[in-house]
Amino acid sequence: GHTEQANPDQSPAGDKKIILLPCKNPPSRGCVQLWLQARKQYESLQKCGRESRLR
Amino acid sequence: MTTITRQDLNFGQVVADILCEFLEVAIHLILYVREVYPSGIFQKRKKYNVPVQMSCHPELNQYIQDTLHCVKPLIEKNDAEKVVVVITDKEHRPVERFVFEISQPPLLSISSDTLLSHVEQLLRAFLLKISVCDAVLINNPPGCSFTVLVHTRDAATRNMEKVQVIKDFPWIVADEQEVHMQEPRLIPLKTMTSDIVKMQLYVEERAQKS
Repeated sequence: GHTEQANPDQSPAGDKKIILLPCKNPPSRGCVQLWLQARKQYESLQKCGRESRLR
Repeated sequence: MTTITRQDLNFGQVVADILCEFLEVAIHLILYVREVYPSGIFQKRKKYNVPVQMSCHPELNQYIQDTLHCVKPLIEKNDAEKVVVVITDKEHRPVERFVFEISQPPLLSISSDTLLSHVEQLLRAFLLKISVCDAVLINNPPGCSFTVLVHTRDAATRNMEKVQVIKDFPWIVADEQEVHMQEPRLIPLKTMTSDIVKMQLYVEERAQKS
């Protein structure tokens, strides 16, 4: 006779196992690299400003 | 020694708080160690009394926080079987998967004074393993990115939908390309067994990365 095989992905209540992921992507490496360069520029400008005020 | 259930003292919430705090640090550290982002965005901090590297990039930090904010209700209800940090190549194919396999006991026998310090010690060991895992992994190709997957059950997603942040941070069911990795190499990193949670961390690495 026909016997129904248990599906390991399904609980008795039919609650299926699923894998979820966010729709949104994290910031790209390129984007982060640009941000880092801009931050370094800003910090060096601030440093220059401080040094010129001290002179 | 007292035996309490998951419902007592809002136990699920305590476990979710501890695990999400740990996962946040672990994700930052994985991204640093596996060079997904430039090392210049990371700063040295201390967590569980060990040095870790945490990003100072606002958008990336917000992304990780939003992700874990959505995962938290699942952990709280013991509905998150695995949380997986997937590193993908330029073609969005997985090259590495850091798998956090989580299971929580239905009943607890705890001595509360030693509980948290014991869990902290165990989590510290995970961070130390992550920080040296590059020694056993093959270098990733340039231009990698990452995503976070959660293994759960269909009905459990209702818990996620209750969270306000989901409206701005929706989730979808992963397709085969995002999940499947051909003949991965398995590298066990750490296992912990405590009164409140059992967790194991292993890495699945694609044999041919480039």
